[in-house]
This record gives sequence, structure tokens and C-alpha cells, in this order.
Amino acid sequence: MIKFNQACKAYLSHTKALDNLTLHIKPGEFVSIVGQSGSGKTTMVKCLIGEERLDSGQILVGDWDITRLSSNEIPYLRRQIGVIFQDFKLLPKKTLAENVAFALQVCGKSNKKINAVVPQLMKIVGLSEQMDRYPHEVSGGEQQRTAIARALVYQPKILLADEPTGNLDSINAEEIIELLQKINKFGTTVILVTHNREIVNNLNRRVLTISDGKLVSDQAKGKYLI
Amino acid sequence: MFLSLARIIKFGFQDVWRNFWLSLATIMILILTLFSVNLLLSLKIIGQAAVDNLKNRVDISIYLRQGVSEDKIMSLKARLANLNNVQEVKYVSQAEALQSFQNRHQNNPEIMQALEQLDKNPLTSSLTVKPVNPDNYDQLIEDLNKIQDPVIDSRNFQDNKELLNKINSVTKKINDIALAISLIFLLIMLLVIFNSVKLAIYSHRQEIVIMKLVGASNFFIKAPFLFSSLIYTLAGVILTAVIFYPFLSLLQPYLDTFFFGYNIDLLTYFNKNWWQIMGLQTIGTGLVNLLASYIAVGKYSKI
Repeated sequence: MIKFNQACKAYLSHTKALDNLTLHIKPGEFVSIVGQSGSGKTTMVKCLIGEERLDSGQILVGDWDITRLSSNEIPYLRRQIGVIFQDFKLLPKKTLAENVAFALQVCGKSNKKINAVVPQLMKIVGLSEQMDRYPHEVSGGEQQRTAIARALVYQPKILLADEPTGNLDSINAEEIIELLQKINKFGTTVILVTHNREIVNNLNRRVLTISDGKLVSDQAKGKYLI
Repeated sequence: MFLSLARIIKFGFQDVWRNFWLSLATIMILILTLFSVNLLLSLKIIGQAAVDNLKNRVDISIYLRQGVSEDKIMSLKARLANLNNVQEVKYVSQAEALQSFQNRHQNNPEIMQALEQLDKNPLTSSLTVKPVNPDNYDQLIEDLNKIQDPVIDSRNFQDNKELLNKINSVTKKINDIALAISLIFLLIMLLVIFNSVKLAIYSHRQEIVIMKLVGASNFFIKAPFLFSSLIYTLAGVILTAVIFYPFLSLLQPYLDTFFFGYNIDLLTYFNKNWWQIMGLQTIGTGLVNLLASYIAVGKYSKI
């Protein structure tokens, strides 16, 4: 599904964010990527969604080489990979349903399709009753669920979760992880980038540990090692 | 396709509305720019009309001896008419000259009284020579000086050319200043639009981030900002027309009084050339605004 082949990326400070990183994530997997701050996790995420380019090496998503995408091709990549972040990235002046609908509107989907898809997604993430609320009126967990619903609007094969529980308490964090597992059961590959030892240990799924831009550990049913 | 276009238009209007004060300031600058351009155009038209009018009034008078037979006068008239650069030679008899003089000074009782005290008509008959091209005035005077005829009493080669040169010079200066002021306003307009779009992008940075995140095309992200610059253009052009026409209507009576007999009608000129003037201003302003927006969007939408 996703392949990093000898991926290298350095910033102007000559720090190697990715140093010959090679890994392979299979379709339908639930993979946790762990590592200390500055280990290269975020760079990996950025390269995967076309926000950064590799200096050398290759990234494949399915059969698609996304290493050197043009700026016009990046939107198509981002419709294939759903992404959620620690800060939710919701528009405060739109309701939860409007936030989800916005993702479809800006990509030219018809109102008919939007009206059909949005309630379904809100139901999947358990927010049918909160659709008309604004982000500041709901909990952090519910905001993250909305972000997940938005990430799923194009039925992506990959869901990339970059520190999704970073701003949540343990109960909400647990609920989000359960939701991600549910999505994974439907066949979506989930990549969870996290610092949360407890979550990683409880998941008991594949864990990739990154340090100084290199893959230092790959455990099929791993634990948080660092 | 049409749905995307409709949403781009909707988002464009939202940009303008949500940044109301910024949009208002931008449109005000556009109105100031276009108003000054139209004002300078009016000045150019007035200047040109005054120069043309003055050029038509440039003529040379040759005064004739009294008591000369009409045959000799007509013979001289024919000689003058044959000269190069002579458009028309008009014979003004003693009686006509007196009538014209009386008409000119009818409001001056002292002159009229002095005229009445004279027994006879003190004015002489004359031949008035009108040049084809007032710019060749010197050549015509040279040609006229070569003609020696006993019929001629005196020649009044009052140098209108100097006056013409002065007016031409003033008109040229007005045009140059107009061009410079227009260019300055154009530059201001460019910078203002650039900053407006920059601020609009800044206030929408969250939306832009999300649009990019969910895979909106670059065109869809940028187009609303380009469209809002077109809204500024149209609003600016329309509001300028709305303000400028009443201004012209108020100005016209003053122009009629000040330039009496010059036939300067700005309203008619603007009405006749309405589409040309407004069309060119819309296209020109639209292109400048699009350019400024395009640069701003390219530079600042990479969030």
C-alpha cells in the first residue's frame, strides 16, 4: 500500500529528517508510528501528503509514485489519503455538518451528494445529534470525530492520524482510537502517529519506531519502546 | 464545472462581504483613481477644444486704402486666394467693419459716444486671410509680405502664433501632468489591491489550509480571490460613473460661461464615447487588479 524506499530529506539546517528510510505498510493494516520529537515522524507525514518533497528516494502509494508530484497532482493525492491532526483544523464559524460538507463543496461535489453523504458520515462517527452545533459548543473528542468524518468524505484507502489524541483527555482519546479501529475494520489502512505510550501498548498492533529519520524497530504486535 | 464556478463566485462575494471595511477602502481608492483619470480626460478635452477653437480664429487682416475701386480689391483678393496655405479670403467693407465694431463695443458707452461724434466712418475696408493650417503661420506671413500692391494701406500681422505656441505648450504640460498623476494612481491602485488580496488571504488562511488538506484544486483555492478583485473593479467603475456624471452636469454650466463661444460640451462627449471610455477603464482597471491579485495569491496562498 505505502512504500518508502531509501527516503532522504534534509532541511536547510542540514538536519536529516529522513535518513534512508525504508518501510512498507500493507493494505488494511493498522500501524502506529512512534518516535521522539524531531525523529522524523512529521516529515514522513508531510511527505506522504505532498507537503514536502524528498531529496532522494521514493514513495509509492499503491502503484502511484508520489515522490515528484506536480502542484496540480497533489489535490488528487489528498483525496486518496484522509488526514486528521492534533488541532482538529475545523472552521469555527461553520457547524460540524458544514465543516464536513465544506470538504465536498470545495472539490465540486453536488449539493445532492453532499446532503446524502454528510449525515451518513456523521452517523458513523456518532455525531448525528450534534450536526448543527458549532465546534466551540462540543467537546474535543467530538471535534476530532468531526475531523475524522471530514477525512472520510472521499472514502480514502488510507487514513493518516497525526497525534489525534494529543489534545484529548484519556476517555475521549480512547473513544477516538476505538473509532479508528472501527474504520480500519472496514478495510481502511490506518497510520497512527503518536506519542501516547498507553494507546500504543493497548492496541497491540504493528509499531514502527523512528529515530533520527531511520526505522529502528518494526514489531508486528509491538509496544512503545522509547 | 458550473457548480464549481457558482461556488467560486459565492466565495468571492463572501470574501468581499466578510472583509467589508477593507473592501470599502479598496473600492474608494479605485473610485479616486478612476475619478482622477476622468477628470484629467476632461481637462484634456477642454484644452484640446480651446486650442482648436483658437486655431480657427487665427487670421490675418490686410487693410485697404479708402476710395479704391472694387475691381482692384477683387483682383488682390484673387491673388491672395491663390497663395499656398490660404483657406479663405474674406472682404470686409467699411460698413461691415463699422457694424462689427459697434456690435463688439455696444456695451461700452464711451466708445459708442466717441464714434457718434465723428462725421464719417473711421474704419477702413479689409481683406481677412484665413490659413489652412495655423501651424504654417510664419510661411503665410512671409508670402503676404512679398505682395506689393498700391491697394494695401497697412498689414496687421498680429502674432497669434506666439499665443498658439503658449497654448500648445500648456496643453502638452497638462497632458504630461495628467499622465504622471494617472500613473501614480495606477501604482497606488495596484498596491492597494495587492494588499487587500493579501489581507483577504490572511483572514481566510484557516479555510485555505483546510481546502488544501481535503484536496481542493489550486484553481479553486485561488479563483475566489481573483473574482473578488473583479468585483472591486466593477464596483469601482460603476460607482465612479454614478459620481462623475452628476459632477459633469454641475460643471457644464460653469464651462459654458467660462468658455463662452468655444462650444465645449463634456456631457455630450462622455455620452457619445460612453462605451469606449467605460469599456477601456473597466478593461484597464480589471487587468491591473487581476495582475495585483494574481501576484498576491501566488505569493501568499502557499499556506
